[in-house]
Amino acid sequence: MPELEQQLNTLAAQIEWPATPNLVPAVRSRITARVVLRAPWYQSRWALAAAALVIALAALVAYQPSREAIASWINVHVLFQRVHVIPTPSPLPPGPLGQRLGLGNQTTLSDAQKGVTWHVVVPSKLGDPDEVYLQLPPTGSAQGEVTLVYSTRPDIKVAGETGVSVLVTEARGAVDRNFFGKMLGPGTTVEEVTVAGHRGYWIAGSPHDFYFTDANGSFRSETFRLATNTLILDFGGTIVRIEGNLTKAQALEIAASLR
Amino acid sequence: MEGRPKDESELFSRAQRGDTAAYEEIVQRYQLVAFRTAYVITGSAADAEEAAQDGFVKAYRALGTFRSGAEPRPWLLKIVANEARNRVRSAGRRHHLELRLAERFRPGDAAPSPEAEVVAADDARRLLDQVNALSEEDRLVITSRYLLELSGEETAAALGIPEGTVKSRLSRALGRLRTTLGEVSRA
Repeated sequence: MPELEQQLNTLAAQIEWPATPNLVPAVRSRITARVVLRAPWYQSRWALAAAALVIALAALVAYQPSREAIASWINVHVLFQRVHVIPTPSPLPPGPLGQRLGLGNQTTLSDAQKGVTWHVVVPSKLGDPDEVYLQLPPTGSAQGEVTLVYSTRPDIKVAGETGVSVLVTEARGAVDRNFFGKMLGPGTTVEEVTVAGHRGYWIAGSPHDFYFTDANGSFRSETFRLATNTLILDFGGTIVRIEGNLTKAQALEIAASLR
Repeated sequence: MEGRPKDESELFSRAQRGDTAAYEEIVQRYQLVAFRTAYVITGSAADAEEAAQDGFVKAYRALGTFRSGAEPRPWLLKIVANEARNRVRSAGRRHHLELRLAERFRPGDAAPSPEAEVVAADDARRLLDQVNALSEEDRLVITSRYLLELSGEETAAALGIPEGTVKSRLSRALGRLRTTLGEVSRA
């Protein structure tokens, strides 16, 4: 080895480095009890004020005399028409299931696996999925989201008018019960469960929204597609959601068969 | 720097399955090299601590991207070094890194180290002064490769450049260091 490189190698042992801090406690607290630092946008004062204004205006517009007064005041002839908004998740218009439920592009299990970096787990209890969807960023979660669709399965009632018995959705990220638990509506309960060493939550009732931190550490909210009982599982950094008209025992049995 | 125990891949597999205790052991094993790498990039111990901590948290969330059987050090160092560079970028300035000799190796100390290989105190100080005086690009590659004792692959990961670029950059930096050392000794 040339002399200069030899001297540099020897010099390495003579350097005074700053003391290395013990990072374990701080990292542990951040990966086990993640705290949402920023309140969601709809909790801001401005959003609440805007919502109050919208509600007030909607009330005025809904009431026919004031509606006509407003139209007269702004001196235009406006036809206020009530639009029937299709409730989510059912009943739903016809069309491809993935489009109706916002699941992304239909694909095969092997192609979905090629499209993401993690191992896509499949519950053997339900057999092969009837349809597979892949949703990539920017609409999907960081590192993508895979959904397995199971239509009719024995002993599982089809949810709403979706024609779906069970949806299994997978994305990389982490969940924080302290946060998403507070966002669930009345009549919905959360129970902590463990399946084959993986921590999870059994959410019974009619949950609609789900909050988690995706693979980039970004806060993300999603709507449960079926608004049914749901099991959420942290499968080694992959969040697996099992939605359907399932009993807790059925959901745990499906989760235990994830491979 | 840390060794590479045989159960490393088992630790990563366990961490990938959500075993936080396994990940804590990974942090314990790699925090020294991660912190020092971040220190070389940021030039500040406080920034290095934050960058290393953020890097380990991000690495945990990205465990799914770690290929089984791959070398963990370059993978971790890449994430930590990115955090360190982001911190420098967002601060808009870099602290000037001034490496120092440990006290017992400084010139004038009464008891020199018994190891015969230790560079004489004056020579060590002269060499380190010239390393500190190099351009940032030269200093980073020499410090990473020789003073942090990173491999070529690890240096590439830490500096965010291809391994081939590390070799050419290192060769040029060593050439410039030789030149300045020659000038100093002739003066």
